[in-house]
Formats: sequence, structure tokens, C-alpha cells
Amino acid sequence: MTSDLVLFRFDLRVDWLLASCALILMLLGVVMVGSASFSMSERIFGSPYHYLIRQSLFAFMGLFLILVVGRVPLLNWQNMRMWMLVISLVLLLLVFVPGLGKTVNGSTRWLDFGLFRFQVSELVKLLMLVYLSGYMVAHQEEVRQNPWGVLRPLLVFVLVAVLMLIEPDFGAAVVLLATMMGVLFLAGARLWLFGILSLLGGAVVVWLSTSAAYRLARITSFLDPWADPYDKGFQLTQSLIAIGSGSWTGTGLGGSVQKLFYLPEAHTDFLFAILAEELGLLGVSMVIVLFSFMVWRAFRLAYWSLQAEKPFAAYLSYGLGIWIGLQAFVNIGVNMGVLPTKGLTLPLMSYGGSSTLVMCLVIGLLLRVYHELPPEITTPKEKAS
Amino acid sequence: MKGKGRDDLMQQARHRFLLLLFAAIAIGLLVRAVDLQVLRQAFLQNQGDVRQQRVVTTAAHRGMVLDRNGEALAVSTPVDAVWANPKKLLSDQDLWPQLAALLDLPLSAIQKKVFKNQQKGFIYLKRLVTPILGQQVMALKIAGVGLQREYYRYYPAGEVTSHVVGFTNIDDQGQEGLELAFDRWLTGVPGRKLIVQDRLGRPVGDLQQLTVAQPGKNLTLSIDKRLQYLAYRELKATVQKYRARSGSVVIMDVHTGEILAMVNQPSYNPNKRSERRSAALRNRAVTDVLEPGSTIKPLTVVAALESGQYRPDTLIQTSPGWFMVKRLTVQDSHDYGLLDLTGIIRKSSNVGVSKIALSLAPEQLWDVFSRLGLGRSSGSGFPGESAGLLSRSGKKGKVKRVTMSYGYGLSVTPLQLVRAYSALAAEGILPPVFFQKVTDGVKGERVLSRQAALRVSKMMMAVVAKGGTGARARIVGYQVAGKTGTVRKSASGTYAKDRHVALFSGFAPVSSPRLAAVVVVNEPQGKKYYGGQVAAPLFSKVMSGALRLLNVLPDDLPEPPMEYASIGGGL
Repeated sequence: MTSDLVLFRFDLRVDWLLASCALILMLLGVVMVGSASFSMSERIFGSPYHYLIRQSLFAFMGLFLILVVGRVPLLNWQNMRMWMLVISLVLLLLVFVPGLGKTVNGSTRWLDFGLFRFQVSELVKLLMLVYLSGYMVAHQEEVRQNPWGVLRPLLVFVLVAVLMLIEPDFGAAVVLLATMMGVLFLAGARLWLFGILSLLGGAVVVWLSTSAAYRLARITSFLDPWADPYDKGFQLTQSLIAIGSGSWTGTGLGGSVQKLFYLPEAHTDFLFAILAEELGLLGVSMVIVLFSFMVWRAFRLAYWSLQAEKPFAAYLSYGLGIWIGLQAFVNIGVNMGVLPTKGLTLPLMSYGGSSTLVMCLVIGLLLRVYHELPPEITTPKEKAS
Repeated sequence: MKGKGRDDLMQQARHRFLLLLFAAIAIGLLVRAVDLQVLRQAFLQNQGDVRQQRVVTTAAHRGMVLDRNGEALAVSTPVDAVWANPKKLLSDQDLWPQLAALLDLPLSAIQKKVFKNQQKGFIYLKRLVTPILGQQVMALKIAGVGLQREYYRYYPAGEVTSHVVGFTNIDDQGQEGLELAFDRWLTGVPGRKLIVQDRLGRPVGDLQQLTVAQPGKNLTLSIDKRLQYLAYRELKATVQKYRARSGSVVIMDVHTGEILAMVNQPSYNPNKRSERRSAALRNRAVTDVLEPGSTIKPLTVVAALESGQYRPDTLIQTSPGWFMVKRLTVQDSHDYGLLDLTGIIRKSSNVGVSKIALSLAPEQLWDVFSRLGLGRSSGSGFPGESAGLLSRSGKKGKVKRVTMSYGYGLSVTPLQLVRAYSALAAEGILPPVFFQKVTDGVKGERVLSRQAALRVSKMMMAVVAKGGTGARARIVGYQVAGKTGTVRKSASGTYAKDRHVALFSGFAPVSSPRLAAVVVVNEPQGKKYYGGQVAAPLFSKVMSGALRLLNVLPDDLPEPPMEYASIGGGL
């Protein structure tokens, strides 16, 4: 134990930039969850701190998880890629086992563990990206040269996406497929193949969006929320009102009116709107910049990994970076009314145990990527040469 | 190796492309944020305000109604109304039993109310609850339930002052009596404030006080609560004793025209809403008219004196106790023979006043009555005041003039009668009528010659003197002038034999008049129904008590008989 500690102290290669960025977002998230849920929590549970306490607990567990994951060599993940796929499929199927699966608002996305519920698709997204990165390393040339090399993982992903759609968890499926496409694109898939797949994927997304009545309703209400602001456009108009009311510097922490039962899901999917209302354009810019920075940092880690001939770390970093950025920007876009409602959380910030813990896993993995990079690559001197 | 280098270049290009894509998205989101938070900020803020802000009125305290000595007759105390938004209350059904228990309502009543009004945004669950109970209700934290400040109107004197003061409805608006007449004076201006409410309709905070609530002004009445109680008690006793249908007593300050007491039977307790039945609500002294009967005779005599054709000692032949005017038979109860004017009043001779009426110029009688305020509203402003009826045909036809001379064929309110007697008492100056206390000098209007008024006053003392019809109206220590009246009630065109109104009207002390009073007892049952038997004793009790309560100097202290003197000495 002591040697470990000593080792840890001397071998302390941590990407402080990424770590502090993630920490800031998490802390801000906890504060905003507390603020946004204050009245609702008091009403439902009799204590205004119910969600705040739980989210703080999740954050602590997440930090612990980061420490654990940070100590697991990436090679273990790489070797276990097939297990990742199997676990993903099993988890997605378990949701449909009566007694285990938990249905909320018509969606069966959760496994019920009594004390807490686990949202399967959150973890599946991570596991599938690990699987994909491993596959890339094993079949790099095929991906670049042979359409089959791209189509094989694609079929697996489509299978997973279909399972997600059955739940249904449309947002998770879209994010997963888009992230996979991004990774394939970066891994050097042929452009023409990529173009076809993108068109196909886009077509499927459009078809899916318009096939289910509730999704279509979301789309139409998204296009003109003010047409029916008290019913179909309610959530979106309230979100826009919240953001607009924030102005430059916001109404101040705790000053949101929209969180007083006006804006549904204020502490989860629409946390960003409350943040915008209370912290204004200042807070909004900060959050967007921080997420942008995380994407850039993940890409930088991927670039260094490629240089260090660590393709698994590189593809994993790409995937995780795209995922965080995509999910964050889609969530923010939904809040701002530029995208239809998806049911996606704001990474690291929204209330929710599964989301928080999985995102901490992501941060842990990225920190591990940095940790395994040779020091000469990450120092500016080396980079300059 | 060359291929690998090309792959690296391609990879770097794609790397940059995706980063640029993310950067573009980030910038796009920032632009959108500026659009929402800066450019469209006003619109969105306004949309939010429309949803979140509400102007609420804050109830203004209604002014108190006080008697002339500052005693409270109507007081408002702050209470709460528990209201609900049924749409929102529906979501909290599990808390309904607790709510019902607190409000002391059956659960089914709440269910019925809420389900019936599902489409509405506002219903009262219970009004006029104590602020403590209101706080307990709010502590339940039920969605869509709120409190509204309102005021409960309490009438400390209850049924004693109910006719004069009236009452307010549950919305604090005057409905009857002076509460209605002076509603604008008593009602304050409700304040308005802008508040922020949460989606459940509960106020979260005050934004702006738009206007401050201005409390209503207090109203000080001319009523003296002590006299009011006295009059009420005595009237009630008399009405019960004679099983009368109704009754009224009015006491007026003869110089200022202030109503010092005004009571009626039957009455009601304004604090009990269930007792607010229409029959008992009427302030009969103001709203109901009656034929004044013999109580009008002093006014006929005044007309005689004013005409110059008569002096107090002018003699009139009333034998044989009856005479005919056209087809009308005018009759006295006895043959009184030759009577002077005092005798006519004292004996209440119909024949006498009829002969006077016929001897005067046709419009003379009507003119005097009219000048004394009969047949027109007193201008008191009391809601529902009746003007009575003084027909213009009384200027011409002989029969009409004759019947009018002894008080039939015209109708007056008790208030008009007491005011006319006040004019007689105040040496011919007719006072205005006030229900509110008069602080500055009152200018009455001279309607009679001083001499005529003084002479009639003196004559009316004979009524109360021993052997007069109103002897029972006597008051020890004070000289009283007055006139009895026993009116046969008209029913379906003719006069009923067994239904009477017993009247007494008078004032005291005669040497320096202060108070005038009218007593009306409607339909006393049994053998005693004459004004002198039923109304005069009541007048005596009320007037003597009032004079003493007001510390009016006695003007008729008799030589005390021995036994009284010895008791006085013992004290």
C-alpha cells in the first residue's frame, strides 16, 4: 500500500487541464441541480435538498470512480472489447425482462436496483465506444480499404441502436450512431462510403423522427413553439423564456422563476435553461467554452496517442470526445430551441446517477489516456519539434 | 511509408475538420444564446412576465361605524379567505382529507366543489376564516390553494342598531342601512400590487406595490348608543306586552335634526346571516308609511293660528259631537260642546279640527303640512326612505281637507312625523335630518311663525296633563308636550274596525325643548289599543330615560310630597 502511494505521488501524470475543466462542470452541475430542484424537491419530498444531496453523493462516487478507472491500464479495456459488446447486448436485453426493467413515461430504459435505477443506454454508449476502438485497432487496414471493414461494426451498432430504439431511447441511439460515424471518419474510412452512410443514416433519422407520432409532435412543436405555447410548445417556450430572462448576467443563483414548476425537467434535461436564467449569457458562454475545450482536449489526447503509436487510446479519445461534445451541444441546442426535444442529459451536469457515473468513467478513461502517454509527447518542447 | 504519410495527412485533415465542425457548432450556440438573451430578451422576458406575474388587490380596511360618543357599532377585523385553483388542486387529492378536516367541511363538499369547477381558475373554499386557521391551511402546502386577506364585519350592538347601521355582504359592500348609504365613505381604496407566482398559483414574492390600499374612513353617527338601547328595550317590551305586529321609536334632537335613536320591532341580528330575512330588515321608521291620525291635529291648529282667524281662546262649537260634510260623517267619541283650541287638541276633537279646516283658505292646511316636511323625502339619504303621500287634492276638495285635518288621507313616515314635531318644538324652525353626528352649526329653515309654534306647544301640554288623552306620557320633572293618535288601519278600501296603530308624538322639556320622539305600535292585540294607553307610556319611559341620560335640566320639579322629601333627606 505504501509503495503504491509513493508510486502514485512520483508517477503523478495527470491532465490537470482536463481534470479541472471536468471538475468545474461537475461542481457547477451540482450547484445548479440543487438550485433548480429546490422548490420541486420540497414539494415532493418535503425537503428542498433531496436532489442536491443525491447529486452530491453521485458526484463523490463519480470522483472515486475516476480514481479507480485512472489506475486501470487501457490494455485491459482493449483486450476485453468483445466482452464489452456482450455486456452491452445483455444489458439492453435485460431491460425487457419483467421485474428488472423499469418503465418511466412510456420508456423502458432503466434497470431497477431498488435503491437506485440504472439507465442502461448511458453505460452501453461507453462500452460500445470501447468495443469500437478495439475493433479499429484490430482491423485498421480493413476499415481504410474495404467497405466490409466499415460495415461489420456498423451492423453491430445498428443492432444496438435498434435495441435502444425499442426501449425507446431515440436520443441515445442517435448520439451513439453519430459518434461511431465520427470515429470511422477519423479512422480513415473512404469518403464515398462515408457519404453514403451519412446520407443513409440521415434518412433513417428523418424517417424515425416522423414515424412515431410523439416524435413528430415534438418536431412540429419545435418548429413553432409559440403556435401552442400552453400545450405542445409548453416545455420549449418555458425553456426559451428561462434563457431569455437570464439576459447578460442572469437573475442570480436561486433567482430563477421558471424552476418554480413552470419548466418541466428543470433539474435534468433542461438544467441548462435554468443555468442560463440564473447565470445569464456569462454562464452560458462559460459552459459552452468548457465543453468545447473538453472536445478539443480529447482530440489533442487522440492526436498525441496516434503520435505515440497508441491507436486504441487514440480512437477511444476521439470517441469519448465526440460523444461528450455531441451530447452537450445537442442538449444545449434542445434547450435553446434549435433542435427537437431528445431526452438527452447535459453531461457531467444534469441530475442523474447513471449519467453522472458514466460520465465520470469517461473522464477517468481520458485521464488514463493522458497518463499512459510518454511525457516527451505531451510537453510543449517536444510538440514544437 | 509514403502511403502512411499520406494517411497521416488525411487523418490530420479530418481531425481538423471535425474540430472546426465542433467549433462552428459552439459558435452557433453562442450566437443563438446572444439572440435569445440579448436580442429577444425583452420579448421572452415579457412572455415570462405574462405567465408569472399577477396583479392582486389588497383589501382595504373598511371604516368603523361609531355612535356619537365613539362607541363602536360596526367593526372590521382582518380574516382570511381560503381560495383554490381547482385545476391545480386536482393534482393533490391525497391531501384533501386534511384540508377538509381543517376547514371543518365534509370531504364530499370539497370534492363536489372542485370537480364542478374544474374549468375555473379560482373558487373560494371557505371564507372568513381566522388568520391562525389560514396559516394552518397554508402549512399543508397543497397545490393551488391560497389565502386572501379580507375583513369580517362585526356589529357589537347586534339587533339594537341593525336597522340604522345595516350590514355588508361577504364582499364587504354595504347592503342595507347606513352601511349602504355611506358605502363609498366607509370603503377604502383597495391597493394593487404586482406579484410573482409559481406555476401552482402560489405567490412567491412581491415585485411592486402599484397602489397602496387606503383604509376607509370612520363614520360617526348621530345615534347615541345608550338611548338606542333604552328605546329598543322599552319598545320590545311594549310590543311583546301588547302582542303588536310591529313598532318603531324615533328620537330626534329638535335643534340639530340628529337622530339620537331609531329602533324598530321586529329586528334581526346582523351578525347572523341566517337572520337577515326580508321582513325584519326594513327600517320601518323610515321606509314604512302610516296615516298619522290625531297626531296631525296640532299641525291643523298651527294652520289655524297662522291664518290669523283663530286665537288660542277662540271657541268652536263641536255639538252634537258629529256633523256631515257632503256624505262624510265626522264624529267625536263624546259631545264636547264648546271648545277652545287647547280643548280641541286635549280632547282630540275631530269635529273641531274639521270645522277649522273648512274655515281656512283651501290650500292653507296643505301648505302648512307641506312646509313641515310631509309628503316629501327628508333628505336624510337613508336607503329606501319613503316620501309619504300628501295629495295635492288636499288643496281643494272639502272632504279631503276635512279628513286631512284629523290625519287621514295622507301618509307619513315616523321620521317625518318626528321632524314636524321638532319644528313645533324648535319654535317653528324645521331641522334637516342627520344620521351622522353634526359638529358644526345646523341651519334649519323657519317654516312657521314663532308665536304659532309656541302657542301650540303650550296647548299640547294639556294632552299630557291629568285628564288628557296622553296623561300616561307624563314624565316626572319635565314638562311634556305631545299628542296621542289611534289610527284605524285601512284595509281594502275601507277602514278596519279591529286593526289599529297606536301613536304618540311629542317633545320635552317644553320650556327649552331638546328632544322630540315618535312612538308607533302597530296593531296591538287585545282591549287596549289606544295611543294614550299603549304608545303614551312607552313614550314616557323612553323620553324620561333619554332626558336623564343626556342630563337635561328638569323644568318641572314639583313640590316634593312629604314621603319623597324624607327619602331624599335620607340620601
